[in-house]
Amino acid sequence: MAGSNEVNANESKMAVPLNTWVLISNFKLAYNMLRRPDGTFNRHLAEFLDRKVQANATPVNGVLSFDQLIDRSTNLLVRIYRPTPIPDTEDPQTSPSPATSSIFSSLISCPSPDPFPVIIFFHGGSFAHSSANTAIYDSLCRRFVTLCNAVVVSVNYRRSPEYRYPCAYDDGFTALKWACAQPWLHSGKDSKLRVFLSGDSSGGNIAHHVAVQAIESGITISGNILLNPMFGGQARTESEERLDGKYFVTLQDRDWYWKAFLPEGADRDHPASNPFGPNGIDLRGLPYPKSLVVIAGLDLIQDWQLAFVEGLKKADQDVKLVYREQATIGFYLLPNTDHFHEVMEEIKCFVSSNC
Amino acid sequence: MGPYPCGSAAVGWEGVRSEVQCTAAPDIDGLLAGAGYRVRSSDLCQVAQRLERLESAMVYSSGGGHVDYDHLASDAVHYNPSDLASWVDSMLSELTPADPGPVRQAPAPDGWVDQIYPQPQRAVAARMEEEEDSGIRLVHLLMSSAEAIQRGDAALSGSLIDEMRLLLTRVNTGFGIGKVAGYFVDALTRRLYSVSSPAASGSPAEYEILYHHFYEASPYLKFAHFTANQAILEAFDGHDRVHVIDFSLMHGLQWPALIQALALRPGGPPSLRLTGIGPPSPDGRDSLREIGLRLAELARSVRVRFAFRGVAANRLDDVRPWMLQVAPGEAVAVNSVMQLHRLLTDPDSPGPAPIDSVLSWIHGLRPKIVTVVEQEADHNKPGFLDRFTEALFYYSTMFDSLEAGRANGSAAQQQQATAVAEVYLQREIRDIVCCEGPNRAERHELLVRWRARMGQTGFKPVHLGSNAFKQASMLLTLFSGEGYCVEEVDGCLTLGWHSRPLIAASAWRADDLEDNARPVPDNFIFSSISSTSNTNDSNNNNHNNNDIINSNGSMLRRNSNNNSRSSDSSSQQESIHGM
Repeated sequence: MAGSNEVNANESKMAVPLNTWVLISNFKLAYNMLRRPDGTFNRHLAEFLDRKVQANATPVNGVLSFDQLIDRSTNLLVRIYRPTPIPDTEDPQTSPSPATSSIFSSLISCPSPDPFPVIIFFHGGSFAHSSANTAIYDSLCRRFVTLCNAVVVSVNYRRSPEYRYPCAYDDGFTALKWACAQPWLHSGKDSKLRVFLSGDSSGGNIAHHVAVQAIESGITISGNILLNPMFGGQARTESEERLDGKYFVTLQDRDWYWKAFLPEGADRDHPASNPFGPNGIDLRGLPYPKSLVVIAGLDLIQDWQLAFVEGLKKADQDVKLVYREQATIGFYLLPNTDHFHEVMEEIKCFVSSNC
Repeated sequence: MGPYPCGSAAVGWEGVRSEVQCTAAPDIDGLLAGAGYRVRSSDLCQVAQRLERLESAMVYSSGGGHVDYDHLASDAVHYNPSDLASWVDSMLSELTPADPGPVRQAPAPDGWVDQIYPQPQRAVAARMEEEEDSGIRLVHLLMSSAEAIQRGDAALSGSLIDEMRLLLTRVNTGFGIGKVAGYFVDALTRRLYSVSSPAASGSPAEYEILYHHFYEASPYLKFAHFTANQAILEAFDGHDRVHVIDFSLMHGLQWPALIQALALRPGGPPSLRLTGIGPPSPDGRDSLREIGLRLAELARSVRVRFAFRGVAANRLDDVRPWMLQVAPGEAVAVNSVMQLHRLLTDPDSPGPAPIDSVLSWIHGLRPKIVTVVEQEADHNKPGFLDRFTEALFYYSTMFDSLEAGRANGSAAQQQQATAVAEVYLQREIRDIVCCEGPNRAERHELLVRWRARMGQTGFKPVHLGSNAFKQASMLLTLFSGEGYCVEEVDGCLTLGWHSRPLIAASAWRADDLEDNARPVPDNFIFSSISSTSNTNDSNNNNHNNNDIINSNGSMLRRNSNNNSRSSDSSSQQESIHGM
């Protein structure tokens, strides 16, 4: 029966490869331990259990990464991923020996004389889990660099429940403004920042809201890429009831995360969770970016995600829906399914045609 | 604000290392390894089953109704989350006492040689303020100057130093890149122009003052002590007679907390011996003894049976195991906070280094736990420019963190502590930049190298768990400057600033008594005298050694430097007993 706490792993086990099942189940159980019924979160244990990786300015498979503190007041770090820099022999500051070329000018040099995309990435974790340096997201960002010949900026936004709405959105917008101010991220003859906002789960939600704020600030976004974006609402939808507890996610945990993120006293029809719900804004006529929205057919919140896509369409916005019927949450974490590879191709096409 | 680039970036551009991101052993699932989890492919099925069982157990243990797994989070201690099989098993055993047995019999994975992550590189701090251009220029000049020194071009280096001095008058040297650059320009100047060997100056007493201020001004040493104490406490569980050997007593700051924790141990405290190693006092004072007395006083006040012995030695490799008087049946903990790196030599110099013999005799003590805390930096590279670059970025991050502490600290005392703490760091910088060969003591190496070394000597890793992690994290909340972060890395803990780890703690053991235990090498002096394993407190009569150790509880005469050992510059000191 949907909603019960019965453990029935059979369906999920058949839907994903074994190592994926182990990975996501492990997350599920660990996360269960971290959420407390009173709404608090065991942050120490969460940080202890989270598998992180260091940034690495030595290129590995053509990609290097480094961290940058972009806002001291909120300790906002971003991890920047980029292709191996081309040594600049014309820079007067650079002495002949590459060993003494200024470290910074190499790292923050333009990757290419031709236009290149900058993907601002917001990791998932339902607003409470993970960081920019979490191993699974480090891998994903590296892949985006190679896939799209992009510079990826992964934002280490503040998480709930310690930092509720709108902190994550503010951090996202700070990162966007920061990117706008970096000369080396501008490319092409017109020296433009060709920026894409992207994210999975809560990161997808953040990407949407940052895009809205960008419109209000007159910043042009080349495109939004949302992977299983996290949306919700007060009502219980058919997919939520049908899929509750079946594929790693329960309604109970979704409710917890919304409660931890939304302002005290707000319900799930708050525009943060339900942007096209009763409290949503009207995007008609506004220069909202083109969107690529990927939805997994075994994700229990898909009805909300589909409603989001509908909302964009109704507002005459350009949105491409990629619906992977047999995919579960987290399918993009391990490169071991068709879902993974085909969605990566979609992302690649989307970025290159909108850059 | 500027980036946090890697030191290695300075020399990395020519060769693009195209390597697979995770270099896991063939049996390990490569995709999970990339996600930070080490699971054998052959174990996947079983791990999956155990995960299912764990979930059932969690649901069951919550007794229906609302689900609360908080006891698993709060009461259980978690170890090495990367080893997924063990983690699942340990959670299961928390919930289901009658458990059929773990996925694999051996609790710890074999060998630290599996490099799950790429060769650890760091994102490192270089402070960039409004004077970003000047800052970049300073760094560029520092590099060029260092490279000139490496090439032997003293003239160019000198002129670059002059240029830097000029630039420093125009930037703010009170903080940020200006300040750090100032220290490195100072060090380069000393290297170029000092006629005498620019060895670390100052007396041990001065060093202790600097150390104390560094202790106050930042969480690094406190982290070292907390983490080591937690591991020692856990290792001593169930033992009535315990013996801690501290490789650098200093003021004994680490030990009150351990003594108090042992006092509160359920079942009562063990009797504790502490052997503190430190430099001899030049002025006739016996500083080791004084500290021992203070600790004995504290132990008495909390009713912990306590005995102290001081071992005066200028260098750790002057210490011989027999001086430590390890008695049979006592649980031994060896504690080394930022000492082992002094025993290293240049990586490309032939022959054994002092570290090898020291690690060997530590192993021979069969310690229950060896706590090792070291700077997380690669400062033992033979090439000067490499070393210089690494140090520049490491100490930039360090200074950055100190500054944040100072900016938020209210008391004038905090401000002063920070200022003196910088002098403490300056000593290290000077050593790394100015000294070569046997004169250089600050030969920091990365955790991954220490792990390999400990593993090769025969030590088994002891995972630092979530308890220690939580303690360390809570310690940090006491410090303003919110950029500190504790991370768990495959059983070890690191403390860093803004994603750059600066200090790493690990723990080891060598207490299994296998038949093929490593034999003591013949060239060790102590093998020619009666071994410590035959001594105990009541009949210790090693007259043939000129030792005057008659420990029947009374204060003992100081042993004079005996001459039967040739290169022995250390001396035994008295035992001090509390209670």
